[in-house]
Order: sequence, then C-alpha cells, then structure tokens
Amino acid sequence: MLKTAVQEQLLPGDTLQAKWDFAQQAGYDAIELRGKGDLHFASRLDELKQARKDGVVMPTVCVDMLHFLGAFDDDLRRDAVAQMKSQLTVIAEIGGVGAQTPASYGMFSRRLPPFEPPRTESEDREVLLAGLTELGEHARKEGVTLFLEPLNRYEDHMVNRLDQAADLIRAVGLDSVRIGIDSYHMNIEETDPAAAILAHADLIGHAQVSDSNRFQPGAGHLDWSSWLGALRTIGYDGHLALECRLTGDPLQAVHSVPGFLKRSGA
Amino acid sequence: MNSLEGLLDRPAPAAPADLTLRRGAARVLTDNWTGSSTVPSRTLYPHQWSWDSAFIAIGRRHLSARRAQQELESLLATQWADGRVPHIVFNPAVAADAYFPSPDFWRSSEAGRAAGAPAAPETSGIVQPPVHALAAWLVHLADPAESRRRGFLARVHPRLAAWHDYLLTRRDLGGRGLAAIVHPWEPGMDNSPCWDRALARVEPATPDTFRRADLAHGQPADRPTDLDYGRYVRLAADYREAGYDDRAAPHHFALEDPTFNALLITSELALAAMSRELGLPHERYIERADRLTRTLVERLWDEEAGLFRVRDLHDDTLVDEDSVSGLIPLLVPHLPKDVVRRLSATLLGPRFRAPATELVPSYDLTGHAFDKHRYWRGPAWFNTAWLIHRGLRTHGLHQEAERIRAGFLDQAGRSGFAEYIDPDTGEGRGARLFSWTAALALDLLCADHEELRP
Repeated sequence: MLKTAVQEQLLPGDTLQAKWDFAQQAGYDAIELRGKGDLHFASRLDELKQARKDGVVMPTVCVDMLHFLGAFDDDLRRDAVAQMKSQLTVIAEIGGVGAQTPASYGMFSRRLPPFEPPRTESEDREVLLAGLTELGEHARKEGVTLFLEPLNRYEDHMVNRLDQAADLIRAVGLDSVRIGIDSYHMNIEETDPAAAILAHADLIGHAQVSDSNRFQPGAGHLDWSSWLGALRTIGYDGHLALECRLTGDPLQAVHSVPGFLKRSGA
Repeated sequence: MNSLEGLLDRPAPAAPADLTLRRGAARVLTDNWTGSSTVPSRTLYPHQWSWDSAFIAIGRRHLSARRAQQELESLLATQWADGRVPHIVFNPAVAADAYFPSPDFWRSSEAGRAAGAPAAPETSGIVQPPVHALAAWLVHLADPAESRRRGFLARVHPRLAAWHDYLLTRRDLGGRGLAAIVHPWEPGMDNSPCWDRALARVEPATPDTFRRADLAHGQPADRPTDLDYGRYVRLAADYREAGYDDRAAPHHFALEDPTFNALLITSELALAAMSRELGLPHERYIERADRLTRTLVERLWDEEAGLFRVRDLHDDTLVDEDSVSGLIPLLVPHLPKDVVRRLSATLLGPRFRAPATELVPSYDLTGHAFDKHRYWRGPAWFNTAWLIHRGLRTHGLHQEAERIRAGFLDQAGRSGFAEYIDPDTGEGRGARLFSWTAALALDLLCADHEELRP
C-alpha cells in the first residue's frame, strides 16, 4: 500500500494542526510542506517543531520560490542554493526525509521564443553539477535527501525526463541526491511513464501526483493503475504527495484523492 | 478494482521482498509493453501474437485496465474484412529477418487483399485459438467503469462477433459445425504429435527456400525439425497462393482441434455476457454454444481414451494421440457429467500427472512420441495449466484446481517466467520473462476466482 501526502496550501485551517485533522480525516498519511524563500521556511521552525510534537507527519518540503539552483543569474543561483541548504537543515531538524526542487521553473523553454537559451548545454550541466554536489553534500551531512524534479519542456529547458535527472545524479555520485518524480510532467515527457519508473527504480526518492491537466488525480486521463503499479513493482516506500490545482469544490477535491489513488492501485 | 487489494504486497514463498512473484510478473509485463501491445518475449517473439495477447490481457487487467483493453484493441484493429484475426501482427519497426516467416513471406496486404487483409500493418494469414472474447469479458470485469467510459465492449463486440462468424462459417470445413484448423500453428501447439500423421501427407518445402529465425534464440533440440518446418512452410505458402481464401485453398491439412473449439464455446458464452451488458440480443450466442458443446462431444470425445481427440478431416477419423488439447475442454461449462468425471480422472492418471511440478504435460507422459524437451511434445506450458485450472473450477473441482494453481505459481517463479518447462524437473525451457507466463501468474494471484462467469 502506497502512502499519500498532501501539500499544506491545499488544506483548510489556519494551523498545521488543523490542516492535519482534515488531512487525516480524508485518509492522507502526511503533509508535504512548502518552502518559501528569504529563509521564510527556517523562520517557521518553532511552528514546525510544535506541529511535530502534536503528531503532524511532515516528511518532505517542496521549494516554493521563483529562482532555483540552475538560475542564469549567479546571485540568484547562489541564493537558491543557500535557501535549499537551509530547507534541508530544517526538514532534517523536524525529522523529515528531504526537500524537492527542479533545476529551474519558468526561466526558459526551448519550445517558446526566443528558443535558444543564453547558456550552452555544457554550461548548464556544469552549473547543475556544481549546485547538486553542494546541496547533496549538505543533505548527506544533515542525513536527508535532495530530490531533483524533472519538469515538462514548457517550464524548464534543462531537466525534463527521468533519464536526464539520472544522468546528473550518477555524475554527482551521492546517495543523498535522488529523483523526485511528478506524474503530470512524466505524462508530457516520458514515452512510457511506467517503463521510465522501472528503468530508474534505483534513483527514485520521491513522487508527486497530479493528473494530465494538473488537477487532482481523477480529474484527468492519466493511466493511474499503470503508473502506480510501476511504483509498487519497484517497491517504492515513500509518499505520493498531492501537488496540483483543484477543480470542483476544493475541499471535496482534496478529500477525493486518497480514495481515488487507492482504487487505482496505490 | 477489488482485485488490486493487496497486489504486489503479499510475500511470495522463498523470494526476497523485492523479488516477489507479483513484482517480477509486473516487471515482465511493463518491460514487454510496446506502447499499444505486448511482445511475448523481447528475444524470441518480437511482434504481436494473437492468443498471446488474449492471455496477456487477462493478466495485465490487474495492472492497468486501460492497457489490457489496448492490447485487445490493437490486435482486433488488424482484423481482416472476412472476420479472421491474424495470428501475428508484424511491428514495422522490427527488422524483417528478426522472425521467420516474416512479412515478406505472408505478404498479407497483397496476397490477402481479396480476403480483406488490411493495407497496413502486415500480418500473417492464419489464425490462433479464439480466446479473445473470454479475455475481453474478463478485462471488462476488472474495471467496468473504465470499460464503459472508453466504450470498450461496444467497440470490440462487433469485431469479436465477426471473428466467431468467420470461424463458424468459412472454417467449418467438416460441415458439422466445428471450426477447423488449416496449419499446425493455428491451434497454438505447433509441434504436437497430434499433427504428425496429417503432416506426413504434406510435401515439405526445400530447406533452401526458407531461413529459420527460431533457431537463433531457441535451442535446436527443443524446436521442430527442419523436415517439419519445411512442411509448415509448404502449407502456409499454399494457403497464401490461394489468396488465403478458405473456399479456394487446397487444405492438405485440415483438422478439428478440441482446445480450439472449447475456447470458441467459452468465448461464445463471453459474447453472450457482453451482449447482455450492452443491451443486445444474446440468445444466439447461448444457442450456438450449446450446439457447439453437443457437437464437440459427438465429434471429438473418445470414450475409450478418456479425453477429447483431434479429428482429421482427410479421412474423418480421430487421431490416435493423447495431448493436453484433449483435456482443455474441461473449460466448457455444460459438458455431460460423465465426461467431466473421465477428464478429471485422466488428468490425475499416469498419462498427465507430473507430481514434481503439478503442471500438465503437453503430451501423454507414457506416449510413444513423448519428448520432455521438444516443443509441444511433452513440456508443460503455463497457459494450458491456466485453462485447466479454470476448467476445474468451472466444474467445482476446487481441490484439483488449487493443486495446479500452487504448481503454476511455484514453477513460474522458479523458472523466471519461462515459456515452458520440463514437467518432471521444472527446468525452464524456451524464452524467459515470457509475457503470458507472467500475466497468468498475476491473474492467479489477483483474480477473484468467483468472478462472474460468462
């Protein structure tokens, strides 16, 4: 049986404790936190520690910023790495397992004008390897994992598929860097999502779920039983974290997901 | 999908957690998926095979109802206008010499044009046993909501009905209501001794006119001999030269096979169930199944031998060979009680009981032509065991069914999902990571065996 988590902004309630009550009642096993920039996530440490004491399960944090470790701008890139280090430290401190980030988001797409990015592919690779190595070493020291998330071609121009993430992670050579997969992006980029999961089984550390249209699972047309069956086949033991937009009544939508995933083979 | 409860979770005996039978089987099916169908084996069989796809869909429904539906849809999309479902659909992306006979041997789009072969893709011109309607019904049952959403039954029903009509008209070569096979590859048990007598009448094609691809991956000692292969080629070439027209072809080889017809009966009942579900008249299929059942017993039951036998239409006599094909009619629900009793006794007797593996050998263990390694002349296959398991349950013989189920799962795991095994030792033979072995293992692990029978 695969465990489910839900990102905190999707839950009703003013506090993590209130959100957790709703999440549990809906059948989730955990909450995925969101990590804003300017060290905002670190500033929540007391709140997070109290929530943990109150029994809230928070295994992962997903970055919630507009610049990332692959930024073209050096200052933004350095800041992104510093922010991610802090988020790794905080998630370790509250007993979590890791933090998820893409290489970039909304910075450049080879499918949209002007089509040619300002940096070459080998420069991109160099920047990503440096950032992933620095973050991977920090994560190892903290006893947690950095999850690199491939995004679809319209949202990032560097890491779109699992094989690209796997290639970078093998070059970095640290167990503390793993792939964070996302069903929505995989549906766009992978030839066969289930086969991609099997092919990169040894490197998959985290999974996020949303349907083909970015709405909650069940609202689109993904072949969920095939995707979830592949995760079960590889013995994936992390969470399926809900990161999506909602269609229909928002509370009902969030409420529907654990049952839907379970019926689809989770 | 209730059947998914616990899927992949329960540990298989003596296997480490990450290599449980379920996970292994699911991995085989995912690895062998090509995007719209499943290859039986990445090495030996790189295209789509008709009855393989049906068995694969029966297991794949537990992993993805959608892919299971696509498996059958992609096969049925290549149906000929005369209703036949070809036994191979060639993948144009695979090299022409990867398998023999290749598309340029069959030349379906050209030689089969008058019979209604599609312009593309290329297919073979012969058929395999009609397991498809049974498979489609079981796939529907795995997730009726997804099936209805995709209009699955509404789309496959007319094609399956046309397929059965083809078999019951064009292929009624004996004129008594049973479907005949016209090539040893059609019953799916290519090299069975049941075909030897009829094959001996066929003038073999000379070895320089064909190049076997099966020997590149399979072990020559397990495969048919060159002489037999020459006869297979001759029969197929003659059929091709007649434009695959069943009325015009010479049919030097024409037999009524018990398994082929038993599967037709079971699939007729599945068509009836589908018709009911779709709000269409279903009585026609029930009546045909009843009539076929009576004719099967009249024409192919051998009281003395205690099993069904192949009838050779050349001289209208039963072939004096006992094979697993004669036991599979256990699948048929309305068999006379004494026939069921005799069949289960034969299954438990010295000719077909292999206590070391509990799988059913493809040929009489005590028979003169028994060869525990050679293709369909002794080894045990997993699809025949699955069919017999289903047949035993159909007749309430649960203890016997359970014995076969346990043997199946044990041997499938031990052999690495082999194509077939030595019935005495369990040694795996032929291809490994074989799709229907994995699929039917999943089905035995996951299916609700009390699910609605067609």
